[in-house]
Amino acid sequence: MNFLSKEPLVQVKGLKTHFFTEEGVVKAVDGVDFEINPGETLGVVGESGCGKSVTSLSIMGLVESPPGKIVEGEINFQGTDLTKLSQKEMRKIRGNDISMIFQEPMTSLNPVYTIGNQISEAIMLHKKVNKEEAKRQSIEMLEKVGIPLPEQRVNEYPHQLSGGMRQRVMIAMSLSCDPQLLIADEPTTALDVTIQAQILELMNDLKESYGMAIMMITHDLGVIAEVSDRVAVMYAGKVVEYTDVETLFKDPEHPYTWGLMNSIPKLDQTVERLEAIPGSVPSPLNFPSGCKYNNRCPLATDKCREIEPELETISEGHQVRCWHYKELERLKNERAETAKIK
Amino acid sequence: MINYILRRLLILPFILFGVTILIFSMIMMLGPYQRLSTYIEDPSQLKGGDVDQLITKYGLDDPWYEQYGRWVSGVLQGDLGWSESAGQPVTEAIASRFPATFELAIFAVIPVVMGGIWLGVLSAVHHNDKLDHTIRIFSTIGWSFPTFVFGLLVLMVFYGILGWFPPGRLDNWALTVVMSDGFTEYTGMHVLDGILNGNFDIVVNSFRHLIGPIFTLAIVWWSFILRITRSSMLETLSKDYIRTARAKGVSENVVINKHARRNALIPVVTVAGPMVLGLLGGVVITETVFGYRGLGQYAAQAAAQLDYSGILGVAMYFSFLLILINLLVDVSYAVIDPRIRLE
Repeated sequence: MNFLSKEPLVQVKGLKTHFFTEEGVVKAVDGVDFEINPGETLGVVGESGCGKSVTSLSIMGLVESPPGKIVEGEINFQGTDLTKLSQKEMRKIRGNDISMIFQEPMTSLNPVYTIGNQISEAIMLHKKVNKEEAKRQSIEMLEKVGIPLPEQRVNEYPHQLSGGMRQRVMIAMSLSCDPQLLIADEPTTALDVTIQAQILELMNDLKESYGMAIMMITHDLGVIAEVSDRVAVMYAGKVVEYTDVETLFKDPEHPYTWGLMNSIPKLDQTVERLEAIPGSVPSPLNFPSGCKYNNRCPLATDKCREIEPELETISEGHQVRCWHYKELERLKNERAETAKIK
Repeated sequence: MINYILRRLLILPFILFGVTILIFSMIMMLGPYQRLSTYIEDPSQLKGGDVDQLITKYGLDDPWYEQYGRWVSGVLQGDLGWSESAGQPVTEAIASRFPATFELAIFAVIPVVMGGIWLGVLSAVHHNDKLDHTIRIFSTIGWSFPTFVFGLLVLMVFYGILGWFPPGRLDNWALTVVMSDGFTEYTGMHVLDGILNGNFDIVVNSFRHLIGPIFTLAIVWWSFILRITRSSMLETLSKDYIRTARAKGVSENVVINKHARRNALIPVVTVAGPMVLGLLGGVVITETVFGYRGLGQYAAQAAAQLDYSGILGVAMYFSFLLILINLLVDVSYAVIDPRIRLE
């Protein structure tokens, strides 16, 4: 719970998860480093295909194998390297110490079993309780996540609930064994905006009362701003910027982060059109050499095309993977000027 | 659930009505002279008698609805006419042959369903392994063989060469035992009767005769169920809720046998209806190939001898069975899938 605790809960070091397909090796995650402290929310943001989901599945040990494989790196969780554990040992951690909720609440619950059955299953797997006690705890969990009439809902099937309710059930299920870490992979993407806010609020409340850490994976900077303490920005299988949430929004130092910020509307600025980052994410089968952002970057030079930069600490708790981050200041000023003229 | 079954049962008479209309229109496509044979109990009536007079007597020139009324009332009273090919009334012919076919069908369906699903799941779980490839090679072979070719092959190898599994229903000595006073035919199914009479020689003997036809029927539909189960299982294993189950820490065994299999069976149940239809067709061929005295053999024999009453009787009987089986399929659908049950 101690936010300033020296010992991080999760420490990911140089994680590389590759997929060996017929077309070639897909380097979905190619050297990711970050830490999550107990009770902290780490936001992981990036476009589709940047490797954020594969990173989370690697932590869970749920990468489909074959074709996927963690080829390098460590995932230290409370002093154990999860990459070294057997499937059997991982199963004791999954759903117990680390649990996960997914993007699609509509399809994430098994349609042929009742909600109670599915929550009880998780409880009975990790706690030594009988069926009745597990059901009682399931009802309690449903109540905690704000589902009305939990005694009745517990006997219903997923198709009888709305998307928002199903995501609440998923949250109830994932928290039923008091996890230290909850990985949320785009938990609100498939939901209506009003429901999104409710779910995020619920997650923030539960985080307080359970004292767990959250790894929030999203492509939505709004969600990041709402819940995160620290943020890792990912691009093409790597973390490109890693800092606390205030700094990220006030003073982004990587041209990609800056591009992302410009592509969302801001209340205090009037602009004609929002700026999109030109081009699209390169295919993981065919990454450009050097810095992987060089084909879309306004600051790219020959150096960027040849040598890939390392993640560099530029100030206390702020890391950036860019050769020219200092020059970003110039672009920021230019943009501010044009905004003023208009 | 009970409501669902009741609703289905209420529709049943309407479906049967449709079936009778269909079968009757088939009868009406024949001329009055041809149709006369379906109303004759004893062929000797035709000799010397005035055929036109008989046509008038049986009302074969009457408007179709009057004839339909008479035919249906006959069917309702269990009177399906005289079967020339069997030399007895159609109802009796069907009743005496039904236990044999029922016995065969039950013994064939069990390995088809259990084995097919088991192998299908195995194949999907070991997706693209050696085991999966082996199973798929055998299923492709099984599926591509026509029943009559495979039946003849089985007969040739296991009877002609090895002498293990003879055709027919029983050996002559066993037939004598079954016909004797000391043996009570409770059900007409020899395996069951053998057990009930405590005569295990009969059980063994009738099994030896059953294995060939069972194998022939099973091999085709085995491959069918296996393929459907495999592809459905593969699809289910990539579903989000399987990932959820794994994320809960559920072991791979439970993931497959609890979370995936039940969902994967939904499409399998859907094809079970058409499969039964195919099985009945297979029964006709298999029984003929193996000289197995059952309904299928009777149907083939009636068709070959243009025994209209026989054909129509068997057709009626098979459609009735199909309706019942489809009802069973729909009910099991609802048992497996709550989304259907609670609609």
